[in-house]
Amino acid sequence: MFEDVHKAYRQDQPVLRGMSLVIERGEFVFITGSSGSGKSTLLRLVHRTDQVDDGRILFLGRDISRLREESIPALRRNIGYVFQDFKLVPSWTVFDNVAVALEVVGLPPRLVRSRVAESLERVGLAGRGDELAKRLSGGEQQRVAIARAIVGEPALILADEPTGNLDPQLAFDILGLFEDIHETGATVLFATHDRTLLDVRPRRVVVLDEGKATDVPHGLGDEPMDLDADMALNLVA
Amino acid sequence: MTSERYGVRAPMRAWRPGRGDMRVHVQSIFSLAVAFVCLAASLLVVTNLSAVRDRWSHAGRATVYLRDGAGDQEVVDLVRALEQTQGIKRVRHVTSVEARREVVTDESDAALASLPPSAFPASLELGFTDDIGDGDLQSIALKLRALPAVETVETYQRWTERLSSLLGGGVTASAALAVVVMCAVFSVISSTMRLLLSRRSIEVEVLKLVGATNAFVRRPFVIEGAMQGAAGAGGAIALLGALFLLVRGRFDHELANLLGLTPSFLPWTVSLGLVLLGGALGATTALVSLRKMAAI
Repeated sequence: MFEDVHKAYRQDQPVLRGMSLVIERGEFVFITGSSGSGKSTLLRLVHRTDQVDDGRILFLGRDISRLREESIPALRRNIGYVFQDFKLVPSWTVFDNVAVALEVVGLPPRLVRSRVAESLERVGLAGRGDELAKRLSGGEQQRVAIARAIVGEPALILADEPTGNLDPQLAFDILGLFEDIHETGATVLFATHDRTLLDVRPRRVVVLDEGKATDVPHGLGDEPMDLDADMALNLVA
Repeated sequence: MTSERYGVRAPMRAWRPGRGDMRVHVQSIFSLAVAFVCLAASLLVVTNLSAVRDRWSHAGRATVYLRDGAGDQEVVDLVRALEQTQGIKRVRHVTSVEARREVVTDESDAALASLPPSAFPASLELGFTDDIGDGDLQSIALKLRALPAVETVETYQRWTERLSSLLGGGVTASAALAVVVMCAVFSVISSTMRLLLSRRSIEVEVLKLVGATNAFVRRPFVIEGAMQGAAGAGGAIALLGALFLLVRGRFDHELANLLGLTPSFLPWTVSLGLVLLGGALGATTALVSLRKMAAI
């Protein structure tokens, strides 16, 4: 739940201006909007990579914006985060890249091995654990990143333009993976400006514009949108 | 429970990224070894000076040099009197011939070998009991100097004083070197940490992304800093040890003749202390560098 959230990186250019939004547990929500509308900022605030200037963000009953520094790691262990640029360590193996999410909580190696194997199987990379991350294709690297995000069975998955670097077919595959993850009960916030993904299935869409959120509960469908040229190009495409 | 697991796993996590940074580690360890060689060398000098001082200050002996004209009966009487003096446990009369024989052990030194026995004064070598005090020793020396058959008495007090003074200088030099070494260690490890942080920025980012605590992120770097410091100090000791063995054979004999003891290497406790110091300095520097450079 976002309550009157304000965030500005520069005094004269606020990104979020009193944004309020309620997302229920287990929902799949697309966050969309033009470049610079605050999609990534919203996710970063939830992950506490950034701090709100004003307002509250409630997650699992706690106000994230008031968390003390030493409580942030515990919050992040409850959140899986997937990025457009994957954020994998290229010199580590696929296994190491996924296992790191469990190692930080100190799980025993045997459990780490079985949970990583299970996650890799879920993203279609069973048996590929020994390969170096840098040797994988873009789509495969994104699957590894997704495996890392889900291996700890977090309550919330944040996806920041996860298909931005992939071709359309791979993008649909990756979206399918997130839908599968959502089916297991995780809440998914999927930030994208790719209209084609929003049209795959009628899902709740939150449009960010002018620092505020506009809720579209059953997808954009044929509704007109007031977006900038960048977004318009995507819509035409 | 969790922190225990962290502790066991820490070296593994330290090693995973470390595999790709071997060259950086080797360069860092070499630079640290050079710095530590200076400190270890000064400690080696201090160790041996200290041994010489102890040897002479606790030698429990004095040499009574006799006048050239001292008669045999005079010497016999003196020996007998000294043997009955409290605090003296041994008296040995060394004639000029015997003195020459003791000093000229190697005929290859032509200048020394050409000296006649008369160039070497006859003496009485006194051995004292362990419990004799400095005051008693001085009193005996004073009385002996007053005897007509005695030229002079050497109690080696001046030697000890000079060596103590030298030793004090050595300790001061070592302390100054220790400060220089600490600065060098801090500088080298800071640079290495900056380089490692830059090479591993993605690892650090990923660790924080998945919820690693600052302590978890720091630990591999701190372990690497400690290992570098310890390896640098260990390498310095090994290098100095090799040099010591190489040089030792050439000067052993001369030093033994001159000072009465053979040079010795750093005691194992000092060597271990240096390695531990290196490790502690490395870990501390890594910790400080990470806090300063990456706020972790």
